[in-house]
Amino acid sequence: MEAVKDILALLVFPGGLFVVFAGMMYEWLDRKLVARLQNRIGPRWFQPIADTVKLLAKEEVLPESVTPFFFVVLPLIALAGALTAVLYTPMVGLEPAYSFPGDLIVTVYMLSLLTLCIGLAGANTRNRFSLVGATRALTQLFAYEAPFLLALFGPAIAAGSWQIGEIAHYAESHWFIFTQPIGFLVALIGLMGKLELPPFDSPEAETEIVAGALTEYSGRGLAIFRIGKGVELVVGLTLIVTFYLGGVANPIVFFVKTIGMLVVMAALQTLLTRLRIDQTVGLWWRYGALLVLLQWAVLIVVQIA
Amino acid sequence: MTLNVTQEWQGVLDKIKNWARINSPWAIHYNSGSCNGCDIEILATLTPRYDVERFGIKLQGSPRHADVLICTGPVTRQSRDRLLRIYEQMPDPKFVIAVGTCAISGGVFQGCYNVIGHIDEVIPVNMYIPGCPPRPEAIIDGVVKLLTSLQAVPESATA
Repeated sequence: MEAVKDILALLVFPGGLFVVFAGMMYEWLDRKLVARLQNRIGPRWFQPIADTVKLLAKEEVLPESVTPFFFVVLPLIALAGALTAVLYTPMVGLEPAYSFPGDLIVTVYMLSLLTLCIGLAGANTRNRFSLVGATRALTQLFAYEAPFLLALFGPAIAAGSWQIGEIAHYAESHWFIFTQPIGFLVALIGLMGKLELPPFDSPEAETEIVAGALTEYSGRGLAIFRIGKGVELVVGLTLIVTFYLGGVANPIVFFVKTIGMLVVMAALQTLLTRLRIDQTVGLWWRYGALLVLLQWAVLIVVQIA
Repeated sequence: MTLNVTQEWQGVLDKIKNWARINSPWAIHYNSGSCNGCDIEILATLTPRYDVERFGIKLQGSPRHADVLICTGPVTRQSRDRLLRIYEQMPDPKFVIAVGTCAISGGVFQGCYNVIGHIDEVIPVNMYIPGCPPRPEAIIDGVVKLLTSLQAVPESATA
């Protein structure tokens, strides 16, 4: 019985099929909202599904001068990392499938695996656009990762636990968006940086460096990276809603909150223009990290007092 | 990699693949010597007014990500190698659309000392869109006609 539950959790819900499908639907909603905000009609609802199936059915070109093993394996590691993170997050407001003390840290590192893999995949090829994209992706990783981590650890300190499930239960009665507004903002904007959405899309700036680190990827590899990004969008939004907007809740209420966050993100994407990579790093280290640390100081003083 | 599947399952898989291909054509645009008139019309096609994302059409920068190569202009001797290289960088299945009179026949540049001729002389073309330059509506119509033509042809013939 235990084995059946494990397999279900890994392949159907919350990992596997469910989250891949949810990722595609979130991606569609994001694209549709951006299109509507730009006065366009936007893609049809099955667009990301069609894109993914088409890419999976296409030829995968293995460029000269890449190490074939890493070229094939890196997308898989990225997707595996994102799917592992799903198991420890309370998807749609239900209890996480697995849980152990300190799983928050593991989840956050699993989420950064995707960016790391994209950076390595770009550095693996000899294409100059890929190399520039990889450099930027990794630079951006070092820019947003620390503030994002600190922002997610704020609720953990307040709840006195490093376990996502326990923090979620504590957050049910404490809406951290009111007590820790800076952390909420940094986490939300950090998620946009993680997913390389505008204004943090300089690693894949199509007007400057073709498609960034993934320029040489075609077919299957590209499809798997895209699925991984969709999964990460779902996990990131779920984590932020759990930590800052009232923890484990009724699935419908939870879903509405997540969609609300997505609307905010789509509006920010449309409003803001792309930052240069040095501006991105400056924004995170000069403002993001310092503000979160300030909030930590206040938090610790309040807790001791 | 070949999987052993029965005839019916292969049919279903082909249908799904064809459906996805028709609904998600990612395009790359290359100007092989055009006067820029057609390129301006292609850019107009991609603006919010015509919004081709409705059909799933997306302009990609990398040939590796693209399915459809949209070519404009006659092929000059300089750009022949580049055109070929872009075509060869695209993964199968790939399609080529020739936009504008020059891409179809060489147009006013026919017989120039530096022009090889039309696109068809260098790479195989799937769809021709006439006009000097063709309107955005004509370009959208051409892309949609190319996609509907995929529906009729069996999977093996399109690849």
